[in-house]
Amino acid sequence: MSIFLETPRDWPLVLTGRAGALAADPFDLDAAVAAGAFDALRRVVRDLGATGTIATIAVSGLRGRGGAGMPTGEKWRAAASHDTGQRYVVANGYDADPGVHASAALLGADPWTVIEGLAIAAFATGATEAILALRADDPALVAMLEGAVLAAEEAGFLGDDVLGSGHRVIVSVRPVQGAYMLGEETVLLRALEGRRGQPEQQPPYTTERGLWDRPTVVNNVQTLATVPWIIREGAERFTAIGDGTGAGTILVQLRGPEGGGIAEVPMGTPLRALVDLAGGSGRRPLKALLVGGPTGGILPADLLDTPYAFDALRAAGAHIGSGSVVIADDRACVVDLARLLTRFAADQACGKTIPCRIGLRRLSEIGDRIAEGRPRPADPDLIADLAHDIVASALCDHERLAVLPLTSGLRYFRSEIDDHLLRSTCPAGVCTTITVAAGATTPGPL
Amino acid sequence: MSFIPGIGLVRGMSLTLRRFFQPKATIRWPEEKADVAPKFRGRLQLLYDEYGTLKCETCFQCAQACPIECIDMGGIDTKGRFHVHWGPPETYGERREESALRRSGRPVADPMYEHYESVDLVALDGILEAHDFDPKDMLAILEETQAAYGYLPVAALKHISRITGAWYATIYGTATYYRHLRLEPPAADTAAPAGEAQRGIEAGYRSALDAALGHVSGCPS
Ligand SMILES: Cc1cc2nc3c(=O)[nH]c(=O)nc-3n(C[C@H](O)[C@H](O)[C@H](O)COP(=O)(O)O)c2cc1C
Ligand code: SF4
Ligand code: FES
Repeated sequence: MSIFLETPRDWPLVLTGRAGALAADPFDLDAAVAAGAFDALRRVVRDLGATGTIATIAVSGLRGRGGAGMPTGEKWRAAASHDTGQRYVVANGYDADPGVHASAALLGADPWTVIEGLAIAAFATGATEAILALRADDPALVAMLEGAVLAAEEAGFLGDDVLGSGHRVIVSVRPVQGAYMLGEETVLLRALEGRRGQPEQQPPYTTERGLWDRPTVVNNVQTLATVPWIIREGAERFTAIGDGTGAGTILVQLRGPEGGGIAEVPMGTPLRALVDLAGGSGRRPLKALLVGGPTGGILPADLLDTPYAFDALRAAGAHIGSGSVVIADDRACVVDLARLLTRFAADQACGKTIPCRIGLRRLSEIGDRIAEGRPRPADPDLIADLAHDIVASALCDHERLAVLPLTSGLRYFRSEIDDHLLRSTCPAGVCTTITVAAGATTPGPL
Repeated sequence: MSFIPGIGLVRGMSLTLRRFFQPKATIRWPEEKADVAPKFRGRLQLLYDEYGTLKCETCFQCAQACPIECIDMGGIDTKGRFHVHWGPPETYGERREESALRRSGRPVADPMYEHYESVDLVALDGILEAHDFDPKDMLAILEETQAAYGYLPVAALKHISRITGAWYATIYGTATYYRHLRLEPPAADTAAPAGEAQRGIEAGYRSALDAALGHVSGCPS
């Protein structure tokens, strides 16, 4: 019994392929080694070397699974190119989106592939210290991972002398908690330094000045978990998976009226197939998909053929983000949904900059007043203007993306928003205050 | 020269004429945009809200960020719990009249420091020693201090600052950012684990989302 959703038989499994073999005890190192764990690390240390490894990852076309889709090979190369005494590699397993547990699920199902990927990343970039950062919410998982790292160290896969090569890779497990923004890489690094968790201006990128001002690679745990597979099976096989715009597979967290769960899908899978995996939209017609978590875009049903890929989703006004796909049927009101998400994004923003502290707050207030029946006629333009200014002056990706629920709502569901604005009605019947404010029978003020 | 009549006028006008044909220095904002430094986020100014109170929340972020440490402040923290201050006492406004007295060398009662309760620092000293007095471990130090005292007493923060050498502003900034850290003793009857603060927000988001979508709450997440 797997914690991951069943996918069609011909879909390749890069991340969760070994989870079945480890199901009895995912933290059993011997079973994992028998199933092929640390073979890739051996190849990297014995044959490929640091530059060969980075070249293989670059050729494979692996892009970061943390949301932004940064090419992993380039990131590693940038970190390795800086001449310095100390470098760091950080595995980002935070799962900022409250509705997504993909990192924890992966760490719980096959911790070894993440640890191995972390060791390979450290070896390739010349880092001697690697940090596995994850949520502190599950103390049992944290303790198991600490045990796993210790076991791998005793077996010689980590530690002062990795597989007899003389290279040193010390892995530490660091639980963090207490803020949404901890998922953002610069915030995570500040937290590891024991400082206030506010993002930093990039560039300089973390690959130049990261943890303790040293070159640091921050990678999502899925990104790292993919690395051993690429080394074992070859870059060509990896590139062959997916639709060409992004190679490999990714974990998506599905949520719909008929249930949901985490599924490993090839990059570029059409959204329609993801909806089917979650059991469809039930008896009611599908109205919209929320793609990308709290800062995601709201896509209409006629975009169901959009591939689940970094660039295609960005062009459609959504993003991969946290890897969440939420199905909304006709009971949902787009205005209500967008304002809920914008409110959450504004509440969780760090407060460091004006677009983050004030811009998002004003945006969520505009959403509120449309939903509550006291809109101003120019509100759609105001949303567009404000969103533009926030994106132009933002410090971190959080603000840049947090405008998406409202802007994608405006883009695809304008008539529903106009119903709220001009006719004081909520077609889905969700915004109940609107009719009260409009005075039941009289049309709303314009 | 000076007695040629009108020469001053000619000189003045010639400057005017020259300037007239020179390219303009004015930038016609907002039609044209000037290049600003990438870190520019607007001008810093203390503002008042509609009730006439200062909008500054005494969050210390500016004092912490200021590279030349020129910002000093004192006041009551955001929730009106205790006085906090940063910077040499002589330099902040409300105490200015005291500073003459202070400079005279006679001992001065320090009312600011009496606004928080002192705590027994033995446990804290043990924690600091276990971390080798290293400010790099600040988050762990704060978490363990909270575990020992139930919350983060200001006296403890001051002590951590004094012993580790980390700025009070930095420590205060860290302590007030993370939702699992608290600066007030928890009320005895609602003593939920401190980590619940963020977990509650996350659970709230999930159920609000489910409600907005009309899904039955508690669907597998
Ligand atoms: C608000 C916000 C939250 C984020 N949360 C996460 C997260 O939970 N996990 C993650 O891996 N990346 C998260 N990211 C992305 C990271 O900043 C970073 O891009 C990523 O960890 C890099 O890894 P990758 O190159 O493997 O994608 C977040 C970014 C933002 C702006
Ligand atoms: S203390 Fe905080 S709120 Fe006050 S001026 Fe400085 S940054 Fe702004
Ligand atoms: S959330 Fe505050 S700067 Fe991005």
